[in-house]
Formats: sequence, C-alpha cells, structure tokens
Amino acid sequence: MITLTSVTKLYNEGRPNEVQALKGIDLTIARDAITVLKGPSGSGKTTLLSIVACMARPTTGRVTLDGEVVSGLPERFLTELRRTTFGFVFQRFNLIRGLSVIENVMLPAAPLGGDHAKVRERALERLAALDLADKAQMPVEFLSGGETQRAAIARALINDAPIVIADEPTANLDTDLTMRFLEIVRALRAEGKTVIMTSHDPRIWDAEGVDAVVEMRDGAIFGEFA
Amino acid sequence: MTPWLRRQRALADYTLASLARRKGKNIALVAVYAIVVFVLASAMFFAASLRFETSAVLRDAPEVTVQKITMGRQDLIEGSVAEEIGKIRGVTSAKPRLWGYYYDRIVGANYTVMVPDDPEMIPEPGSVIVGEGIPRARGFKWSGAPLFLSRYEGDLKRFDVARAFESDSALMTSDLMLMNEADFRDFFEIPAGLYTDVVATVRNPNEVATIVEKGSNALPQMRFVTRSDIERTYQKLFDWREGLLAALAAAGILAFVIFAAEKASGLSAEEMREIGILKAVGWDTRDVIAMKLWEGGLVSLGAFLLGTVTAFAHVFFFGAPLFAPILKGWAVIYPDFALAPHVDGLELLTLALLTIVPYIAATLVPIWRVASGDPDAVMR
Repeated sequence: MITLTSVTKLYNEGRPNEVQALKGIDLTIARDAITVLKGPSGSGKTTLLSIVACMARPTTGRVTLDGEVVSGLPERFLTELRRTTFGFVFQRFNLIRGLSVIENVMLPAAPLGGDHAKVRERALERLAALDLADKAQMPVEFLSGGETQRAAIARALINDAPIVIADEPTANLDTDLTMRFLEIVRALRAEGKTVIMTSHDPRIWDAEGVDAVVEMRDGAIFGEFA
Repeated sequence: MTPWLRRQRALADYTLASLARRKGKNIALVAVYAIVVFVLASAMFFAASLRFETSAVLRDAPEVTVQKITMGRQDLIEGSVAEEIGKIRGVTSAKPRLWGYYYDRIVGANYTVMVPDDPEMIPEPGSVIVGEGIPRARGFKWSGAPLFLSRYEGDLKRFDVARAFESDSALMTSDLMLMNEADFRDFFEIPAGLYTDVVATVRNPNEVATIVEKGSNALPQMRFVTRSDIERTYQKLFDWREGLLAALAAAGILAFVIFAAEKASGLSAEEMREIGILKAVGWDTRDVIAMKLWEGGLVSLGAFLLGTVTAFAHVFFFGAPLFAPILKGWAVIYPDFALAPHVDGLELLTLALLTIVPYIAATLVPIWRVASGDPDAVMR
C-alpha cells in the first residue's frame, strides 16, 4: 500500500515564479493493482508520480510505502528505493542516445555490482519477452516509437522492481502500439507487479484490467474511480 | 570478483561507451592535453638525462682545479705550483694541464684544444685527435683528410687527423682537439714551464674543503675550483634551459586549464539530462561521480601516457629534434649523440599529479553540483 497524506509540492519556493503543483493530496494506492492518474496537462499528475516514485520530495505532507515513511528519507535511501523498488518508463522514454539498446537496459543494474554475464542474460531475456532481442545491439536512436517504448519498459524491469511507474506512456503512440502496451501492462500485473501510470488518454483509463483511476485537476484530486 | 569490482567494471564499461559516443570531441581533448604533457615531459626527460650524463662524466674529473689569477683574469700558471699543491697532505697527485680554445674562422666554431694526460691519447707530432664535431663542421668527406688551422691572416698550420672520438662521449668531446705538448706550445706560443691550470686529485673527498683552505693560505694568488663547483654550474645551466622550456609549457598549461574549466563549468543540457536519467533509474550521486572519475581518469591518464611515451620516443629515439637547439645550447657545433634513457621518477610523478589532478578536479565539481540534486529537478 502506498499512502499520501496532506502532500503539497511547491516549485521555486519563495521566488516570484513560485508554483504550487500539488495542494494537500490525500491518496491511497493499492499494491498488486493497475492505477491510472488522469487529468489535463498541468494538473499535477507527473509531480504526484515523481513523489510516489521517490524522485522528488514533498514540500509538506507524508508518503508511506508498505507502512514505512519514505518522504523524509535521506538521499541515499531514496536512491536505494528507486533502484530496487521502482522501475520507470518516462514520457519521452529517456533512453541515452548513442548507447545500444542492451547498454541502456543494463544501466539501472550498473551500480548494484551484479555479475555482468547474469545481468546481460537477464536483459536479453527481458528484451526477448518484449520482441526486441534482435535489436539488442542497435543504438537506441534507430528504434521506432514502439520499439523505443519497449526498450524503456525492459530497462524499467531489469532490477525486477515490484512497482512499475509509467508517465504518459502512450502519449506518442498509435492505437496498435497503445493496445500492445496495455497487453504488456496486463502481463506485468499478472506477474504480480504494481503498475502506476499517468495518462490523459481515454484508451488507457477505460482499458480492461485497470483497477483504479484517480482524476486530478489543478494540483488536487478531483475524483477516484475503481 | 567482488561486488565493488563488478560495480567499477560496470561503471567503466558505461564510461567507455559514453566516451565513444562523442569521439571527435574527446579525441580533440586528449590531443590538446597530450601535446601539453609532451612538451613538458620532453623538456624533463632531456634535462634529466643531460644532468645524469654530465654527472657521470664529472665523476671522473679531478676534485680540485687550481688557476692563477692576474688582475682578476685567469693567467698561465707555473709548473712549480703543481709540486707545491702535491705537498699538501691528502693530495694524491697534482699535475699541470695545457689546454685552450681555438676559434676556427673558416666555420665560425670554437674548438677546445688539449694536451692529454693519458699517454695513450697523445698523438704523434704533427697529428691531432679530434671530436666528431670537428670533421663534421669542416665537412670532411674522407678519413685521412688533413686539418689546416690558421691562427691569423697568412698563417696556415697542417695537422693530420690521427682519429676521431666515438659519438658516445660526444657531449664532452664533440669540439675537442688533442695535441702533444710540443705542438701545443708551438701552436699557441706558450713558453716552457707555463701551463693553463693545475689539477689535483684527493684521497678522501671529505677533505676537499680543508685542502682548498690550506692551498688558498699557501698560494693566495691562486683560485681553487672544486668538482662540486663545476657540477653545480652545469646543473644550473641545464636547469635554466629546462626552465626556459617549462615557461613556454606553462603558457600551454594555462591555456589547457582555461579550456578544461570552460568545458567543466558549463555542463551541456544533454549532459545534465543524462545525469538526471541515471539518477532516476537508480544511480546515486556517488555512482555518477565515480563514473565521471572514470571518465576524467581515462581521458587524463590516456593523454598523460600518450604525451609521456611520445616525449620519451622524441627525446631518446629521435634525439629531441624539436627542442635540442634550446636545451643543448647555442653553438656552431652541436654534439651529435644519443642520450642514454634516464627518467627521474619523482619529476614524472610530479608531472602526472600536475596534469591529472587539476583536470579531474575541474570536471568533477560541476558534475557534483548537478548530481546532488533530486533527479526530478535535474530532468525538468
């Protein structure tokens, strides 16, 4: 269970360009479920996702993960959580250009000091499961949109994180690729992973298998649907 | 392999892949860096080797040289002085020497003319033994060509060249010409019983100062020059020349530091984004810094090795053609010889620290500033 209590987030605090991205969020996100945060641009979805995924700290309020408070943890522990508990699929996928697909997929495993051959094998398995085994050595800038997204998913799964976070994963995909993505998400769910996504794409929040939808507007929760 | 080593290997793998992405930029960086190291290391190798060689040559030189000073200038010395010096306790031998300089107007070069002490080196009357630089300066095409020397307008003296010195000792013998005593006195018109100076050898080197003191008291008009005085003069001469080149290289280093600081101070948007991605996927600040240490280490160590090895080859295999005129001295006759490779480990270490550490430090600080923020902040 992930809970957020009275979470606010201010950017550029104390400056003339201060922005309040989140306003007193109280939310509970179930584990072993697919949760979608929906809402228009600027509603605070990505900020909320960043806080849940320990990539940013709330300005005020508290975040707990399976009963443990994580919002006040020092940087070292937050990194450890990002490394072992969360797998990320970014809106623009954020693969590192110039590196091959497999090098990108293996990136999150580098600081763990695991056996190189085993990590590589695991990466190839993930790529094979996502039909990308034959593109493993290709530089990522030569991949198509769908392949780039699948490479990003493989990277998110390399450390076998139990929670997969995806920010607007289908923003740049056509319907076929969106359906393919949803299949992958359902397969992850079947593996027992928790999936949290943001989207303003109705194909996502109406999709089969989505357990909860949280609607946001102007930094606040507007409604929750199961 | 321990997890720590595996982590370092993974970071180094990433660094190499990352460096390969910006090939052109990194090759240019390494090249500029290596040139600076090359100039400094060349000067260092050259000077260290010359110093070493000079010390080796001077090791066999006599401990004390005695000169007669008249009106503040060196004058011819009576042979009897050698006998008086020889009587001082602790002096094993004292011998008068005959040597001088001859200016060859034909080629505009100065030769050192000497009467050798070693009987085997004394040439036949009418013959000379010469350093390898003299036939070269005169442009002798065949061995056995006679050497004509002219002391003044209308004068011409013929000598046969008995043989020439080998190149190994060229630093000290390049411009040397050996004559027998009779020819020398005749050539320079030196009366019998007068010499250039007197050299003394001493049994115990620790007694040199005492012997010089006793000699100075007994012969106050004489000047006593010790071997360490000569050695010091040579060292200073080479240090000065090395310093000249080091000053030039300092300008190069300054330019390089500005270049490195410029590169380091402004991380590109691409680099900042990359650090943000790495942090978001689970790298912490230490991992990013360790990776950048690998990058800085590979670039600076690579450039250092490249510069040093090239400098070594330049100095010891090719005879330092780029810097020889400055480092060997300004002369018509340059000694033609191969330097024996001699590397001063401490100087090399200093050079390594002066080039590698500032580069790594200059690149690390901005990385640390970016990497210590929240990944979310870095990516926005």
